[in-house]
Amino acid sequence: MTARVPDNPTSTTTRDKADLTMTAPSPDRTTARSAPSAAGPRPSGKPAYRITVARVIRSEWIKLRTLRSTWVMLAAVLLTIIGLGAIAAASTTGAVEGPDDGGGPGGGDALSTVLAGAGLAVVLVGVLGVLVGAREYSSGMIRSSLSAVPARLPVLWAKVVAFVLAVVPVVLVGVFAAFAVGMAVLDAGGAPTVSWSDEGTARVVLGTAGYLVGIGLIGLALGLLLRSTAGAISALLAGVLVLPTLAGALLPESWDGLLKYLPSNAASAFTSTVPPESMLGAGTGAAVFIAWIVVALAGAAVTLTRRDA
Amino acid sequence: MIQLQNLTKRYGDVVAVDDLTFDVRPGIVTGFLGPNGAGKSTTMRMILGLDRPTSGSVTVNGHTYRASTAPLHEIGALLDGKAVDKGRSARNHLLALGATVGVGARRVDELLDTVGLTEVAHKPAGSFSLGMGQRLGIASALLADPSIVMLDEPVNGLDPDGILWVRSFLRSLAAEGRTVFLSSHLMSEMELTADHLIVVGRGRLIRDVSMAEFIDSAWTDKVRVVSPEATALAGLLAAPEVTVTSSSPTELEVEGVPSAEIGELAARHGLPLHELVPLHASLEEAFMELTKESVQYHGRTDGALLTAETAR
Repeated sequence: MTARVPDNPTSTTTRDKADLTMTAPSPDRTTARSAPSAAGPRPSGKPAYRITVARVIRSEWIKLRTLRSTWVMLAAVLLTIIGLGAIAAASTTGAVEGPDDGGGPGGGDALSTVLAGAGLAVVLVGVLGVLVGAREYSSGMIRSSLSAVPARLPVLWAKVVAFVLAVVPVVLVGVFAAFAVGMAVLDAGGAPTVSWSDEGTARVVLGTAGYLVGIGLIGLALGLLLRSTAGAISALLAGVLVLPTLAGALLPESWDGLLKYLPSNAASAFTSTVPPESMLGAGTGAAVFIAWIVVALAGAAVTLTRRDA
Repeated sequence: MIQLQNLTKRYGDVVAVDDLTFDVRPGIVTGFLGPNGAGKSTTMRMILGLDRPTSGSVTVNGHTYRASTAPLHEIGALLDGKAVDKGRSARNHLLALGATVGVGARRVDELLDTVGLTEVAHKPAGSFSLGMGQRLGIASALLADPSIVMLDEPVNGLDPDGILWVRSFLRSLAAEGRTVFLSSHLMSEMELTADHLIVVGRGRLIRDVSMAEFIDSAWTDKVRVVSPEATALAGLLAAPEVTVTSSSPTELEVEGVPSAEIGELAARHGLPLHELVPLHASLEEAFMELTKESVQYHGRTDGALLTAETAR
């Protein structure tokens, strides 16, 4: 978006080198200088200070990696996914004896046990997303950022790319490690396990990773929309993570047809081995979940470009 | 070159910027002067595309800033020293901003040295004092060798040494042919830095005038005379159209007689003169006279809390 066709790429580099005394210039001298210096050639040897999408992404990447909170959050995400999964697996081996009764091939509950940490990690990833989106508004940094990228929209896409680059490796390592560690714990305890090659395992493990990243992106969009860390975190927790459960419990069953389209319910269609009957199919669920992300980011894009910073 | 055409910004009922039209030209330092709440910062935000004008337009080097292909190379701006993430170090802040137009670590380190922040380059910007924050803001404005440098109250919080440095630095930037546009609510600041003045009040343009012209308009015909024979001299000067006031036995303030005539008169009568000084009203006074109608926030001196007459 930044690589707009330059109508005059050299317009800013002309330097009027005419001598200038310290006194106020005479009127004729200033008139001569006031002619717009639009057509001068770029002085050779000067670096081209052109804005590009790649450079804006680099800028956002620097912003993300130079905040300690980023690394703290990412470490917390990793530890939560692996640690809680292992703990859940360990407690299962002591409590559960036989194969679960609702299980499909290989025992579906083993998988949701080892991925139990995702339930908390999703909050952490969501908060990290909110921080990427809203933090600059609370500090005033956004004015510096948008002055540097006045087209604005590239800032959003660059934040998305930087966030994805930082979070995807962490959640992938997290879910794979949780799977390996958790299954080892279950196996050692004599509880049923599933293997990677079992039907649905790869979908659930990768789906869980995708769910985490997706909620993070929704958090990022909410951060940009609401411009407040606290507000966006509340909105994310209440609206995206708590509301579906609450509404499911409080509203009559006739609402279920609608509730299954909520983000976290749509996601549970592809993050559980055997989706409950009331839920969407895995493919549809993924499509609906992605649609939510797209809508959130589109809303953020409109807000970012329209509103005064 | 910055060009404003009927620029207006309204926030609900409040008109922050009211039909401003002026040019900010390259090669000189243009001062943007007005009392608090005159719309200076709002105007600067609109120049940068941060705020959208309600009506009118503003162009930077002939186009809207949003369409810039090399933003930081066109305008380097210091809006306020606080537009920084407190948790990020000064150096990383500059690296992140500079990255948008390909400014690298070498240039950033150079700039940190220029503004005198090398020693605290790795400290979080949130730990900076007001003056250090201003220096960081000035560094960020200069990142990409901009053709326009726009600074909102740049000397705010700087120590005297820093103020001197900023002044001479801005002068040298203008001498290189850059457009230098800085705002202040202090005339004394402009007097020493600016070649041209844009005076605003309540969002409206009051004067668009060269500094020299503004200084000329501030002259009075008063002359201060110091002489051990002041009383004798006062007697000689006495005339219906002449006012002589005296603040001490050796000092006179004469209105209505040019300094040359006073000097000649004294010489003819053999009266020694120690000082003979034509006076001009302080520019601060001239500025306050100019903007007194449009000062939005008056302090009360009767012991009550400060009030804002028209602020809602």
